Amino acid sequence: MAVATINSQELHNKINSGESIFILDVRNPSDFNDWKIEAQHLVSVNIPYFDFLEEDDAVYQGLPHDTEIVVICAKGGSAQMVAEQLDEKGYHVSFLELGMLEWSQFYNPVTVYEGENMKLIQLNRLAKGCLSYMVISGGEALVVDANRHVDEYTKLAVSENVQIKHVLDTHLHADHISGGAELAKATGAQYYISSSEMQGATGLDYKPLEQFEALKVGAVEAKVLAIPTPGHTPGSTSVLVNDQFLLSGDTIFVGGLGRPDLGGKAREWAQSLYDTVFTKVANLSDETVVLPTHFADIKEINDNGYVGATLGAIRASNEVMRTENREAFTEMVAGASGATPPNFEEIVGINRGDIHVTPEKATELEIGPNRCAVHHS
Amino acid sequence: MQADLVVDAKGLSCPMPIVKAKKSIDTLSSGQVMQLEATDKGAVNDFQAWVKQTGNEMVHMDEENGVYRFFVKKA
Repeated sequence: MAVATINSQELHNKINSGESIFILDVRNPSDFNDWKIEAQHLVSVNIPYFDFLEEDDAVYQGLPHDTEIVVICAKGGSAQMVAEQLDEKGYHVSFLELGMLEWSQFYNPVTVYEGENMKLIQLNRLAKGCLSYMVISGGEALVVDANRHVDEYTKLAVSENVQIKHVLDTHLHADHISGGAELAKATGAQYYISSSEMQGATGLDYKPLEQFEALKVGAVEAKVLAIPTPGHTPGSTSVLVNDQFLLSGDTIFVGGLGRPDLGGKAREWAQSLYDTVFTKVANLSDETVVLPTHFADIKEINDNGYVGATLGAIRASNEVMRTENREAFTEMVAGASGATPPNFEEIVGINRGDIHVTPEKATELEIGPNRCAVHHS
Repeated sequence: MQADLVVDAKGLSCPMPIVKAKKSIDTLSSGQVMQLEATDKGAVNDFQAWVKQTGNEMVHMDEENGVYRFFVKKA
């Protein structure tokens, strides 16, 4: 009997439905420990597929008979093999058809705010912890920090019945391949990024973001302010929408601050981050909602289904944000960065337009979680 | 390196290289060496984990022109 397949959208719906679900991840333990599907209230166990090659009933102990089991592997092949074995033994089972490969390319759009004159949508690429945004007003849209699957944005624009006018990157990303330039090209929009991020870059058509104090979306409704917030990278720029939503890029996260070490100048960039936090951002009210480009932990998804928190809440919960001593701040930020994002040098090269790769290669380079946030508990 | 059995898993994708490896090593006696060749990059991590899990010994592994070679001594 053919075993049921499931795709990422269906899996996400199941996870969110509150229905009981059991994930059996059959990749090898090192891959599982490095990166897995996470959600609140989700049971996930790891038994590598090769354990199922042994005729050993002990392997099946702990697998539930009364709950649907979704089997997951890297690309679908071994999950199918294991799912068929479970099916034969009478388990209620399905498998994620194209595995983590597909999951890594799944985007979930969530409306953060909808008012009379403006709508703000967060697109959550769950597997990577990458967040991007569409700001909509008066039939026009601004897209911030688009990932490389540009169809996700053009499809959303069609369903929202808007035209994408502006596309911007808050900074030169190191953890994922930007879709900014390509999306702009596909939609006839303008592409913006701070020029200091692109020094010496070849072959990318962009407008220097620092030359625009405000971008207009729709009539006059959505006020978009570009605020230089160096620290994660020298040219990092946050976007303030309607004096209310701070699209903070990788500068400020719900759970911490952006890492300053990806340019080999951790201490120098940490100083810029200090100035950003205690001069630029200090002027923003506690009510401002921070919407970052990444999350590091599934717990950062709030009760409304999006990743974001007020500046007041972040200030209250994050020690670094309150560390006004410049030395101590630098020490905390520059000293605690952990493993760098995989392949980040090559990804930066692609985002500068210096390197070109096939979609297959791009997928391979991006696989795994993002590592752009610095954790401080 | 001398192998008692050479297994060709080139062109096969996960889980087939390991399935073949398991079937093949079952035919060997303790102390004999199986050489397996694969082209699936994903096999590299999986193969090491499998060898460890089954208590066998990875004597050597290398890569040439996209072909990964694993030499496994049966426990």
